[in-house]
Amino acid sequence: METIERETRKKRKSVSYAKWGYIFIAPFFIAYFIFTLVPQFLTIYNSFFETYRIGLTQVGPNFVWFDNYKTLFTPDADGTILILKYALNTMILWIAGALPQFVIAMLLAVFFTSYRLNIKGQGFFKTVIYMPNLIMAAAFSMLFYTLFSRVGPIQALLESWGVIDHTFDFFAIRVSVRGMIALMNFLMWFGNTTIVLMAGIMGIDQSLFESATIDGANSVQVFFRITMPLLMPIFVYCLITAMIGGIQMFDVPQVLSKGDGVPNGTTRTLVMYLNGYLKTRNLGMSGAISVVMFIITGGLGGIVYKMLSAPYKDGSRK
Amino acid sequence: MKKLIAIVLCLVMVVAAVACTSKPATETKTETKTETAAQGKVFNIYAWNEEFKGFFEKYYKVPEGVTVNWIITPSDNGAYQQKLDEALLNQANAAADDKVDMFLAEADYIGKYVNSDATMSIDAIGFKNADTMYEYTIKAASDDKGVCKGVSFQCCPAAVIYRKSIAKDVLGVDDPASVQAAIDSWEKFDAVAAKAKEKGYYMTASFAETFRTFSNNCTMPWVDANDNLQFDPMITAWIDQTDNYIKNGYTLTAGVWDAEKTNEMFKTGKTMCFFGPAWYYNFCMTNAMDPEQGCVGDWAIVQGPQAYFWGGTWLLAAAGSDNTEMLKDIFESFTINEEIVENLVKNENQYPNNTKIAEKYANDPTYGNTAILDGQNDIAVFAELAKNIKWENHTNYDQILNEGLQNKLQEYFNGSVDKDTAMKNFYQLIKETYPNIKLPAA
Repeated sequence: METIERETRKKRKSVSYAKWGYIFIAPFFIAYFIFTLVPQFLTIYNSFFETYRIGLTQVGPNFVWFDNYKTLFTPDADGTILILKYALNTMILWIAGALPQFVIAMLLAVFFTSYRLNIKGQGFFKTVIYMPNLIMAAAFSMLFYTLFSRVGPIQALLESWGVIDHTFDFFAIRVSVRGMIALMNFLMWFGNTTIVLMAGIMGIDQSLFESATIDGANSVQVFFRITMPLLMPIFVYCLITAMIGGIQMFDVPQVLSKGDGVPNGTTRTLVMYLNGYLKTRNLGMSGAISVVMFIITGGLGGIVYKMLSAPYKDGSRK
Repeated sequence: MKKLIAIVLCLVMVVAAVACTSKPATETKTETKTETAAQGKVFNIYAWNEEFKGFFEKYYKVPEGVTVNWIITPSDNGAYQQKLDEALLNQANAAADDKVDMFLAEADYIGKYVNSDATMSIDAIGFKNADTMYEYTIKAASDDKGVCKGVSFQCCPAAVIYRKSIAKDVLGVDDPASVQAAIDSWEKFDAVAAKAKEKGYYMTASFAETFRTFSNNCTMPWVDANDNLQFDPMITAWIDQTDNYIKNGYTLTAGVWDAEKTNEMFKTGKTMCFFGPAWYYNFCMTNAMDPEQGCVGDWAIVQGPQAYFWGGTWLLAAAGSDNTEMLKDIFESFTINEEIVENLVKNENQYPNNTKIAEKYANDPTYGNTAILDGQNDIAVFAELAKNIKWENHTNYDQILNEGLQNKLQEYFNGSVDKDTAMKNFYQLIKETYPNIKLPAA
């Protein structure tokens, strides 16, 4: 009796509670496998097929090797490769929104965390700058469309001031439509970035700032010599997640340009291009676009990993 | 005890995840077996706007114990058809109460549905087309073999609806007979447009206002039997006319559905002519009927430069519906039931798909439209036009091609691209949507 008890006690000591951890996270992996990983492989698989619908009649699927990719990268009559045009559009739209977004967010984050400024009512400002992110992107976009449309208040106001004449159309000018999209993305995301960067700055040891100040560093020097280097991992993380979000930009330009990417497809993003093929459930072509986007995103992910891990590899920093 | 709770929690999570996917499948098996013969308790209608829903709720008495579900998805960017197609293709697997029973379709794409197994013959539900129905509405709802799959509650001969006060100013007359005489051909119409411009008016309020008049008179379909895209001379004529109108400032660069255009129907509007059928009143002219800013009574209707019809909503019977009796009943109510049909004319400004009622009102000297017109008998104008409507040269591609051409050319007309680029963008749209269509060599 005694020996058995001792044995079981021994066994118990070696029981690994880690398995409960695995069991608890299993639902996520199962869901990920079913709803994300399998569809991902199906997308790649489908991209090798000709498959679409004419009305309710299914065409294909016929295995066509890399024909969909060939179609994607075949230049049209004037030599434009559409997918590159749309990739460039996406990049321009993203940069135009992200540049002010990061500059402003950085400034605000530094101001809010500065012990010397000690800004009052931070809670209020943080809430306000985060607000635009709570609005659904499509609704926000619809609001801008209504404001700037031919019968909208801004057109009427500018007309009454004599700045523009009646034939003026915000949506016929490339810069204005792109500008609106960039502005919306900026407004929606700078608050979010500010908060993440603030968390990063607050994670830096305050004594570093104090000692730098005592040594006579001015605030510009403190920013570039202390804040920025120590904030780098968080900053790069922010930048890359924003970039991935940027590659997938869809709802804002889709709603604003009524799905057409006006004018002349200059605000059409990659996902809008993909969505165009889904009208007839052309899984082959849209799959091929997805794969191209996946490769781009994967490449950026690789860059991030390198940039994040590089400073820690040489052992100079912990 | 802790272990037990942990196991239970895990099980719950896994079961919840799996249950979501497996549940509908088990339901189908049991329900289809029991309910095929009996009538269903839920009636699902797919539509893209509230127009028919309004008439349905006002005039149709739903049988007791039946719940009507409206699944409304706007047409924008083809969203309605995408949603409907998914439901129809899933029809066989859907639970009886989730099956589509009836859906609405427009002239531009009705062929896609009647020529498929997604719709069922109206004979199968015991409905007979009445001889009071307009021939073209039956032809539109029939497949290539002539099997009819649904009915329309309206007939859509279209005409020119003009502002009397502006006509008086431009032409010196405002009675329908004189105005018709002044615009009964495109040459005359263009000449009046120039005159209107001199007086500071627009002839039409949208670059695409006359599109349907031209496209409806095409002599060949958009796509031939070998999938070649064809540009009918009428389409080219429309582009040329619009080019001229935009250049001279006879019209606006707004689309047919844009607020900029409908704002022209207010009292303060400067536009003389609008092109549309009877459904246009309720659907597009609410600004004109606005009690404060509108101008009810300042409108009259004439045949215009060329006869045509535009749009129309058909009610189609979805194959696999378990509410066949109610389907038959709805079809009858909105086409044969004289009381309901008369209400559609009297109260809703509709032109009915019933020649008997239409003629009754056309010949009734006491009848006049006062909801928007000055008491003119518009039914008489429409009745004359309705006699000549023919259903021909339609393809399954019409919606994408008609709307796509307008959208892409709008960019040319508003000055953001040149004509070649606009056409290139149109071809690109076709290539993306229907890779099977062969484009003319560019």
